[in-house]
Amino acid sequence: MSRGRRIRAEATAAWHSFLRRKTAVFFTFFFPVILVVIFGALVRTQPTDGGLFAEPAAYYIPGYLATVVLFTPLSRVGSEIARHRDDNRFEKLATTPLTRTEWLVAHTLVNTVIIGLASLLILGLVLLLTDATIPISAELAMLVPFVVLAVILFCGFGALLGRLADSQDGVIAASNTIALPLLFLSDTFITLEQLPGWFTPLVELSPLTYFARGVRALTYAPAAGEPYLGNLLVLGGLAAVFLVAGAYAIPRTD
Amino acid sequence: MNEVVVADAVAKSYGETVALRGVDLSVAEGEVFGLIGPNGAGKTTLIRALTGTTPVDGDISVFGDDPTAVDSDRIGLLPQSFSPPARLTARELIDYYGGLYETARETDAVLADVGLADAADSWYETLSGGQQRRVCVGTALVNDPDLLFLDEPTTGIDPAGRRSLWELLESLAADGTTVVLTSHSMAEVQRLSDRVGLLQDGQLVAVGTPTDLITDHGGSSRLVIGTETSKTAATALTEGGFAATASPGEIVVDGVSPVEIGQAVDVLSAAGISYESLEWSEPTLEDVYLELTGESFDASMTPSTPADPSPAATPQEADQ
Repeated sequence: MSRGRRIRAEATAAWHSFLRRKTAVFFTFFFPVILVVIFGALVRTQPTDGGLFAEPAAYYIPGYLATVVLFTPLSRVGSEIARHRDDNRFEKLATTPLTRTEWLVAHTLVNTVIIGLASLLILGLVLLLTDATIPISAELAMLVPFVVLAVILFCGFGALLGRLADSQDGVIAASNTIALPLLFLSDTFITLEQLPGWFTPLVELSPLTYFARGVRALTYAPAAGEPYLGNLLVLGGLAAVFLVAGAYAIPRTD
Repeated sequence: MNEVVVADAVAKSYGETVALRGVDLSVAEGEVFGLIGPNGAGKTTLIRALTGTTPVDGDISVFGDDPTAVDSDRIGLLPQSFSPPARLTARELIDYYGGLYETARETDAVLADVGLADAADSWYETLSGGQQRRVCVGTALVNDPDLLFLDEPTTGIDPAGRRSLWELLESLAADGTTVVLTSHSMAEVQRLSDRVGLLQDGQLVAVGTPTDLITDHGGSSRLVIGTETSKTAATALTEGGFAATASPGEIVVDGVSPVEIGQAVDVLSAAGISYESLEWSEPTLEDVYLELTGESFDASMTPSTPADPSPAATPQEADQ
C-alpha cells in the first residue's frame, strides 16, 4: 500500500510536470506525426525489387511505433535524471522512503501512458494517410504488452544513459547517437535482405528487433501467423534486465 | 541525553580535494546544532555524510543505525541548491513529498507554517526566490521528522520571512525535533543553535554553545566613538585607563562594560573633546567566526584610485 502511494505520488508529479511543459508535449506527439506524414504520405512506399520503402505500407508500422517507443523513453528518462541531479532532487529523495526502483517504475508508468497515446495516434495516422490495413483479431491486443515491455526496456536504458551522461545536453546527444542506428538496423525500416550478410547477426543483438518482429506479426497481414510469443518473451526478459540495471544506475548524490 | 547523531573520524575526498578531515561530532536529542564555516569548508559534505547520501570514511550513526539504514520517515532534509519540479504549485509539491512518506502532515498546515497559504496555488517557478526556499523548507517538514537537516534554509528569504522561519524552527525544537543546520548568517545560528560547530578546511575547529564560543574566542565588548579628533581623544582615554585605538574619524575602546560608558564620556568631556556618535557592542558569533577562520574585511579589496595610492592613515595623520 505504501509502495503504491509512493509510486502514485512520484508518477502524479511527473505527469503534471510533463503536461505543463507545452513544447515537450507538442513535440512528443508532433515527432511521430511528422514522420508518418513524410514517409507514409509524402514519400510513400514504392513496392519494387529493392531500395528503401519498397515494402507495403503496413510493413513499416513497427518502425513508426519504434520511433516513440525508442526515442521518447531514452531522452525523457535520461533528461529527467540529469535534471534531478542538477537540482539535487536525488539527494532529497534518497532521504525519503521512495526507492530508486519505485522512482523508475513511476516514470515508466508516465512514459507508458504518453507512448501509448502516441502509438494510438501513429496507428490512426498510418491507417488514415496510407493504404495500410491491419488484420483485426483478438491477437491485436497483444500490441499492448509489446509496447509496455519496450517502454520499460528503454526507460531502463534511458536511466543508464542519464547516469553516464553528465548533463541534459549529453543525454540528448547520447540518446540520439544510440537510437538512430537502433531504429534503422532493427528489422524496422530496413529489411534484412538489404543489409550485408555479415551484419545480420548484429540485428539480433538489438532489443528493438524483437519488438519490431512481434509487432509486425500482429499488424502486417503477410506476417500474420508468424510466432510472436518468442519475441515477447525475449523483450520481457530484456525489459526486466534493463529495469533492474536502470534502477541501480539512478544516482543518489555523487 | 540520547545522542541522535554521532560521527567519528569522518573523512571524505573528491579526487585530490579533501572535503572532510576526521570530523568527530555528536548531536543530542532535541538539540539544535549549527554548522558554520567558510565556503568550501565541508559543511554540505558533512550534511551529506550524516544523511547517508555520500559515502565517507569513518563511522556515523543516526538513531543508532548507519545513515543509509535509518527509518526515513524520521528524517527531513533540505539540501543546498535544491530545486523541486518547477511547474508544480506549492500545494502540489507539499502533496508530492508528503505522498512519499508513510504518514504526512496536512498540506495546508505545512503551507501555513512556512507562510505560503496565500501562494499555495502558484507554480514554483513563478514564486519569488524567498517563497521558493520556503516551499523547499516545507518539503523537509512534511513528514514531521524527528531529525531535521537544513542546509542554508534561509538563503534568499527576506528579513520578515527569515524571522518567521526562525520562530517555526524554534517551535519545532521546543517540541523535541533535533535540528542540524548550516548557515552563513551568524545571527541566525547564534539565535537558533544550542551548540555551534565551526568547520574550516574540512576540520571541526571549535564546538560549543554560542555563549562559550563568544567568551573563548569573541574578544571583548567595545565602544566605538565617532569624532573628528580621534587621536587626541584616544590619548585622553588611554590616560584615563581605557584601551583606546584611534583611526580616522573614530576611536575603538575595547573591554568597556556598560557601566564604564559613562566614565569614558566623562573623560572626553573633561578633555573638551566633542563626539558625534557612541556605539557599544558585545562580541557576537560573527567575531568568533572571523577570529577562528582568520577571515576579516580586507582593505586591499576596496577599489583605489591611481591618484591616491597612499596606505591607510597613520595615527599621526588621523586627526588631520
